[in-house]
This record gives sequence, C-alpha cells and structure tokens, in this order.
Amino acid sequence: MQTWKSLVAAGAVSLSASLAHAATEIELFFPVPVEGKLAAEMKNLIERFNTEHADIDVTPVYTGSYDETNIKTRAAIKAGRPPAAVIMSANFILEYQINGEIEPLDGLIEANGLTADAYMDRFWPALHGNARFADKVWAAPFHNSTPLLYFNKEHFVEAGLDPENPPATWQEFVDAAKALTVRDGDRITRYGFMLPGNYDYLGWIMTALTMSNGGQYYNAEYGGEVYYDTPSMLGALSLVRDMIFTHKVTPEGVTDGKAVSTAFFAGDASMVMLSTGSLSFIRENMGDRYGVAFVPRNVRNAVAIGGASLMMPKGLSDDQKAASWTLINWLTSPEISGHWSRFTGYFAPNRAAYDLSEMKGFLEANPDAQVALDQLAYARSWFATFNTVAVRKALEDEVQAVMSGDREPAEALAAAQAKADEIMRPYVEQTALKLPQ
Amino acid sequence: MVETTAEMGMEARWTWRGPSLAWALLAPSLLFLLLFTYWPIAQSLAQAMRIETFGSDAVTWGFGNFERLFEDASFRRAATNNVVYAAGTMLPSIALALALAVGLQESTRFNATLRAVVFFPVLLPLVAAAALFLFVFLPGIGLLDYYLGKLGVGRTNWIGDPDIALWSLIGLTVWKNAGYYMLFFLAGLQGISTDLYEAARLEGAGAWGRFRRVTLPLLGPTTAFVAVIALINAVTQVDHVVVLTKGGPSDSTNLMLFYIYQQAHENYDYGKAAAATVLSLAALLTLSALSLRTLERGVHYES
Repeated sequence: MQTWKSLVAAGAVSLSASLAHAATEIELFFPVPVEGKLAAEMKNLIERFNTEHADIDVTPVYTGSYDETNIKTRAAIKAGRPPAAVIMSANFILEYQINGEIEPLDGLIEANGLTADAYMDRFWPALHGNARFADKVWAAPFHNSTPLLYFNKEHFVEAGLDPENPPATWQEFVDAAKALTVRDGDRITRYGFMLPGNYDYLGWIMTALTMSNGGQYYNAEYGGEVYYDTPSMLGALSLVRDMIFTHKVTPEGVTDGKAVSTAFFAGDASMVMLSTGSLSFIRENMGDRYGVAFVPRNVRNAVAIGGASLMMPKGLSDDQKAASWTLINWLTSPEISGHWSRFTGYFAPNRAAYDLSEMKGFLEANPDAQVALDQLAYARSWFATFNTVAVRKALEDEVQAVMSGDREPAEALAAAQAKADEIMRPYVEQTALKLPQ
Repeated sequence: MVETTAEMGMEARWTWRGPSLAWALLAPSLLFLLLFTYWPIAQSLAQAMRIETFGSDAVTWGFGNFERLFEDASFRRAATNNVVYAAGTMLPSIALALALAVGLQESTRFNATLRAVVFFPVLLPLVAAAALFLFVFLPGIGLLDYYLGKLGVGRTNWIGDPDIALWSLIGLTVWKNAGYYMLFFLAGLQGISTDLYEAARLEGAGAWGRFRRVTLPLLGPTTAFVAVIALINAVTQVDHVVVLTKGGPSDSTNLMLFYIYQQAHENYDYGKAAAATVLSLAALLTLSALSLRTLERGVHYES
C-alpha cells in the first residue's frame, strides 16, 4: 500500500515537473582514463549542473577507457542516437572530422558574440592544435596532461644527488639513472628509471622523448604523415635501448603503466615517466617522498599534451545542441575546470582558472602541480592522424621489440614507418596523392 | 485433451501433432537463434565479401578482404598464437582436471574442501582474475616473483617479455579452467559402476591398470565434451588479453578474437574483421565436428 502511494506521488511529481518545463534531456559520455575516484566525482558534478539548470537534464554515461569511449560514441552515431556531448581523447577529434561525424562549434561561439580566436584564447596555447584545425573549432579542451618525470627524493639523497636539482638534460638523466640503480652482483634490485611500455602510453612517452630531441613526430597540419624513420626518433629510441641494454638502468621488456606506478610506490624504481593525470594518485601514495621535473631534453624542451576534450557529434536537434553547448561551457568554466584539476591532477585548460584564489592556494601548497603547469609552455599538439590508434600501434609494436632486445632501433623505425604508411594509404590516396586528371 | 476431442467425434479438427507440434515447441528458441546467431552469421558473410574504399561510396563484391587478411603479418601471428594457446591450454587443463577428479572423487570432508579450493578460480570472472594477475605477474615485486625470489629465481617480466607473455596467459587460463573441467569429470566418474572396478580388481588389475582400462575408456564421452568446450574457450575468451596485454608486446599475445576487435574498432576495417570472423567460425565448426567424431569413435557409451 505504502509503495503504491509513493509511486502515485512520484508519478504526480514527475508529471507536474514535465508539464512545468519540458527539460531537454541529453547524454554525456565520459571516460575515466587514470586511476582514482573520477567516475563518482563526475556524477557529483553533473548532479550539480542539473540542479543549477532546471531546463536541462543531463544523464552522465560512464563509457570506460578513452578507446572504449571512442568505440561507443561511434556505435551511438551509427545507430542514429548520438550523445549530445562526449569527453573524447583529444587526439581522436581529427578522425571524427575526417569522417564528417562531428559538429563544428563556430556557429555556437559566434552566437555567444565571440570570435573563434577570442574563444580559443581562453585555453592554453598548447591545447589549440588538437581542438582547432581545418579552419574550424571542433572541441573544447576539458582536462589535459603532459608527461612528467617523477622521482623518489629519498633515493636521490641516498645516491648523493640533489632532489632540488633534478636532471634536466639527457646526459644528467642517464647519469642520475646510473647512480640510482642498485645492483647485487648481476641482479638489479632497484631500477634507476622505468617507463610505461603498454600500448597508448608507450606512444605518448616516445612522442615526448622524440620532441625533446627536436622531432615533430607527426605532421600536425595533415593527417596522412608521420615522421617515424627520422634522426630525432632514432635518437629517442636509441636512448631507450641504451638505458635497457647498455647502462642497464631500465628493465627489459614491456612494463604496464600500472606496474610502473606500483614499482615507484614500492621503491623498486627511482625515476618514472608518467602522466600529470596520475599526480593526485602518486601524491596519495608517496606523501612528500617524491618530486617532479620536466621531461629531460637533448635538443630542446618539448612534450605532447594528453587528455580529453568535449565534442558534439553530428545529428543533434537544435534544442540538444543548445543544451550541450550550455553543458560544455559550464564544464570548461574557470570554477569547474579548477575544481576538476585539483581533484584529478590534470591541469585546467581554462587559463582563468588559475586566477581564482582556491587555485592559487592549491599551487602554493602543491609545488609539483606548478611544475606541470610550467611545462605547458613547452607543450605541443598530440599525435593525431587518419586511423590514429593503428598508426600509433605500428610504432609501438616495433619499440616493444627493441625494448625486448629483438630488434635494433634503425630497422625497427624503418619497419614502423612502412607499416604506418600502409595504414594511412587509403587516406593519402584520397588527399595528398589525388591529382588532377 | 486432444484425444478426448477426437473421441467425441469432432472430425477434421486441426490437432497439435506431428511436425507442427515440433515447430511450435522449437519456435521460441529458433526465433532467438535466428535473431542473434544465424542473422549475424549471414551479415558477417555479407560483410566479408563486401569491398569498400575510403572516400568513395562504391561497393564491389569479392574475396579481396580475405586476400588482404592473408597478407597481414599480424593476422598470421594471431592465428599461430591461437593454435599455440589452444594446444597449450587444452592439454594441461584437461589432464589436470582429470587427475584432480580422480584424486578427489571419494566424498570425504577433506576432499570436499579441496574440491571447493580447486573450483574457486571458476567463480571469478575471467576479467577479474586477469586484473588480479596484473599484480601476480608484476616483475620483482609481484606475488609470483616474490616467492620465486625466495627460491633464488631472478625477476621475470611475465607479461612484458614477448617470449614468455603468451605462456603466462596460458598458465592463467589453465589455473582458471581446470577446476571447471574437473566438475564434468567428477560427474562422469559418478556414472561408472563400482562393479567394474571390483571385477577389474578380481582380475588383478592395479590402480594404474584400473584407470587405464576402466576409467579412461568410460570417461570417453566426457573427455570429448570437455575437449570441445576447452577448444571453444580458447577461441572465444580473450578478457585476459584485453586486461593484461592488449595483444602485446609486439603482437606476441594477440589472439584471433582480439585481432578481429582491433580490425573493427581500431583500424575501422570491417571487411577484414568480417573475413577473419568467417574464417575462425569455419575453423571452429570443423574442429568441433572433427574432434567430436574422432573422439566418439574410440568412445565406449553405456547402453
């Protein structure tokens, strides 16, 4: 009886609510790419948005990793029921543009009385390349990262290194790794340096090393070219091989990103290269026993950004578009952007977030977050091509072979280049090699 | 009910007899088989023969997808890996399951506890087991290396060394499935009459003789069944590949189903994915039919 009454009451309430204002119902697809309690916090945020916006009803849909979110978004678009907004890995946006499955934001930006330049100016310059290309704005940066060198301060002191003065060049980096490695006869009991070797993470770390060596990695203006078989990448890959097989300061074979952070916590590795997105997770586990530094340079300081942007698939009604645009602007506002940044460790794409007093206080208390922010000045766009994942894997398979001692860097890069070119060929034939008849 | 109406002399009434009854009873499951099995198979076949090119809407039909598939080194690698994986998981897990079943068949309290212990891995979903094994396999500090280290064995990169990774996954699968197959053997053992063992004992057969001459032949149908299940598992279960290695390092743990996933969702090459699906389906059907037939030939069924 009681349940019947409450059901009727609930029905009456929802009926009157829907009569009062037919709220636009939209879905937001969101991934959780790194360790931590991000999914729960995203739900809290959306609840807050729904309370503040009576005319919009957003349902947050957790869609797994970046790659799974990509697959689910594509499936939803194919099925004719696209989500109104997706938090999409920043380097997948290009593919949606190539396939014509994404809505440009320019019209909405202009309707707000802004130019595209003024709109993009809200975000850090390093983030522009993956969001604005082919003459249009396709996405709004939501949370972003760069790779950082994390190091164990206690190990530094033990090895006679200065934790306030971490390695800045490749020479200092290799020297530090040698000093930090602990050997027991032939056995290594502590590694000076570890890097994640699993798919996706490895490609991103190789990008950072190659860019630090003066390289471009890929053609940021055209999705049909990568620069795998080049001196800058040969140097980067040779550095990795040397650290494993010549200096013996890095373990052989592939170590998963999760295993790298575990090894760092366990004191099994003294320096690791991981995302700024792991900053909060590492802070939780390491307390004040760790420090962070820029990715060391050989030719120059440069890394690629990572992280995700908000995008709008094609095929939405005008109401949905308007609601989605409100949501996107809210999620990228200084206040929310800053809150999310403090919660996760990602930096806030919206520059104005750093003018807020909470953010200033946070940076003062956590100087490591300031290092991540400072490195942004040297950050560049993230690898994006036709069939990004497959082209990335073409390189990663070969780098893994080098890390396992099965291949030399030069032959590995030639093979990776050939494989990548073959994967991009259908696109290249329809674009750069499509000539007047 | 039908009989009574007939007796009452109501002639020419349509009755639920013969094929119509069979069809009616089969209808619900046929409907679902059609919707979720046969229709997708037909679609895969069509997709496999359909050739599309990027940037054009023109569609041609032919075997081009299969040709591209055979040229792909990753496909050959995945196929070889899957053969090694199937053989490497089937033989040890079936042998282990049989040994456990025979060893634990008597119902004592101690045996019941041991059976529960052996069966425990079956209760874990493969994806959860794989997530746990990420930490078991950690080089140097993982559970496995920690205890091996006490025995003086050096650190091993269980899932990060291309020469070892596939064998680590095989080990995980054997651990996971042996308890499950043991259940079938235990059930099979219940069906063997104790008279036969007594007779064998009177004839002077030792423990090994009784196992070889009585148990093994009479478990024939069970073994045939378990072998087919194990084969199907080796092709259809890739959760651990997804969680632990994503087919790496350098494709060394890539199995056919994960390769198909990569073609469809990473390369957006639906033609190649469908072609590989059709081939693995054909291989699976042939192997199942063959293994059931050859095993049944040597099988002793009780009347």
